[in-house]
Amino acid sequence: MGENIFLNIASWIRGLLDSIGVPLLASDIIMMIVKASAIIVFISLNVIWLVLMERKISAYIQCRIGPNRVGPKGTLQTVADVIKLMTKEFLIPRSADKVIYLLAPLVVFAPPTLAFAVVPWGDGMAAIDMGIGVFYLIAVTSLSTIIFWMGAWGSGNKYSLVGGMRVVAQMVSYELPLVLALLGVIMITGTLNMSEIVEAQKNVWFIFTQPLAFLIYFIAGVSEANRTPFDLVEAESEIIAGPYTEYSGMGYAMFMLTEYASVLVISIMCTIMFLGGWLAPFGWTFLPSWFWFFLKVYVMIFLFMWIRWTYPRIRVDQLMGFGWKVLVPLSLANIFVTGIGMYVYRSIGW
Amino acid sequence: MFGKGLIKGLQITWREMLAQKVTVQYPDEQIPLPDRYHGRFELDADKCIACMLCANACPNKVIQIERTRVGKKQYLTKYVMRIEYCMFCGLCVESCNQDALRFSKVFNMNQYFRSRVRLTLADRPAPAEEPAEEAGSEQEAKKKAPAPKKPAGAGSEAAAGKS
Repeated sequence: MGENIFLNIASWIRGLLDSIGVPLLASDIIMMIVKASAIIVFISLNVIWLVLMERKISAYIQCRIGPNRVGPKGTLQTVADVIKLMTKEFLIPRSADKVIYLLAPLVVFAPPTLAFAVVPWGDGMAAIDMGIGVFYLIAVTSLSTIIFWMGAWGSGNKYSLVGGMRVVAQMVSYELPLVLALLGVIMITGTLNMSEIVEAQKNVWFIFTQPLAFLIYFIAGVSEANRTPFDLVEAESEIIAGPYTEYSGMGYAMFMLTEYASVLVISIMCTIMFLGGWLAPFGWTFLPSWFWFFLKVYVMIFLFMWIRWTYPRIRVDQLMGFGWKVLVPLSLANIFVTGIGMYVYRSIGW
Repeated sequence: MFGKGLIKGLQITWREMLAQKVTVQYPDEQIPLPDRYHGRFELDADKCIACMLCANACPNKVIQIERTRVGKKQYLTKYVMRIEYCMFCGLCVESCNQDALRFSKVFNMNQYFRSRVRLTLADRPAPAEEPAEEAGSEQEAKKKAPAPKKPAGAGSEAAAGKS
């Protein structure tokens, strides 16, 4: 039930366009716009939900109740917050580099949005089934480093600058274990196409064959998403809000939106690469594939939030030391062991 | 084992997440206040003999009393507390011989204007000489030692709600 609901909607729109005589190129473009807007709507709704979920989980962990006044059980709290942020003034500091300062919140949302294009939401449900999907996703998500730096530099503020320097240092050094951890999976599957990687996990999920890679990817992912215990970028007690210090109103909201969108991207990547994507566990196919996909993604997101409200923030030197002295060697060792294992298995003839 | 503490931390937060929440949804529900709570003052003007003990006991000169002589006795006509200076130490309540001045459990005494903070507990004209004297003496005789009523179990409930 509902397995092909989204595919059917897509083919229905396509059929409608064909029946009214729209040329093939135009209908392709229209389909792309429909998919893109669906993805953007999906991200926005998810972010609104995730902010509420984060506040609720943090409240529950701290023995509080959390937002429960706006709407039924407080579910409209984030909607109210978004409306508040939209109606607030966008301040431009006198010392700001105006063009860069204004450009940063405009483009900051682009990299996570672009990343969603290649994600297979269910069986055959990728917006673009790209042959180099994993490579594309890694390349696109690395772009956000420079946009954070733009915001930090454009603000003309020392706290922003310190935060921006931390963004660059942290993201560049954790990009490396992040990519190297994925390499183990890619070596086994021999493909960069996400749908094929998911298909390769039909018998056993890669979290069981590549547990170290999963752990490294997860830790580096927490760091890439700038979340506690690696949220030195916006460490409130040290540098106000890092690169976002000077931003107000919708500019700040865009940065927050990006933060949650990148959490979503990292969770989705964990799901696809290690948790079997849309594949149902134990052959429980009575639920549609996209449902299993979202379930796994939300388990990952919950793990992110659980960790955020458990651990304290680490120091900058600890962050750098952990990244370069622990994660990078471990991920290299993982690749080495995976390679040997593959060679041994091949020579046995499995 | 490396990482043992991290796992323990996660266990603790997981337990706390499922634990009973301590938040009290204030306007909808309230923690029962203890009997000795220092809230807004209450004055039983009929019991008051305008002895001025409370006004003299007050360290901040909060209490302003106006009284007139009716027959042989002092009669309270006006009792004003300048609550803005009060620190709710309770010395006035302790000093009251007639149990006329008491604490209530009302704690929201906030006002929009400073002038409205002042608490007028009694404001009445002095009666004509004869009947007032009788009434005052009768009441005094009746309520010589009133036993203070205390709702049982309120304090223990508050303690239980906290844990």
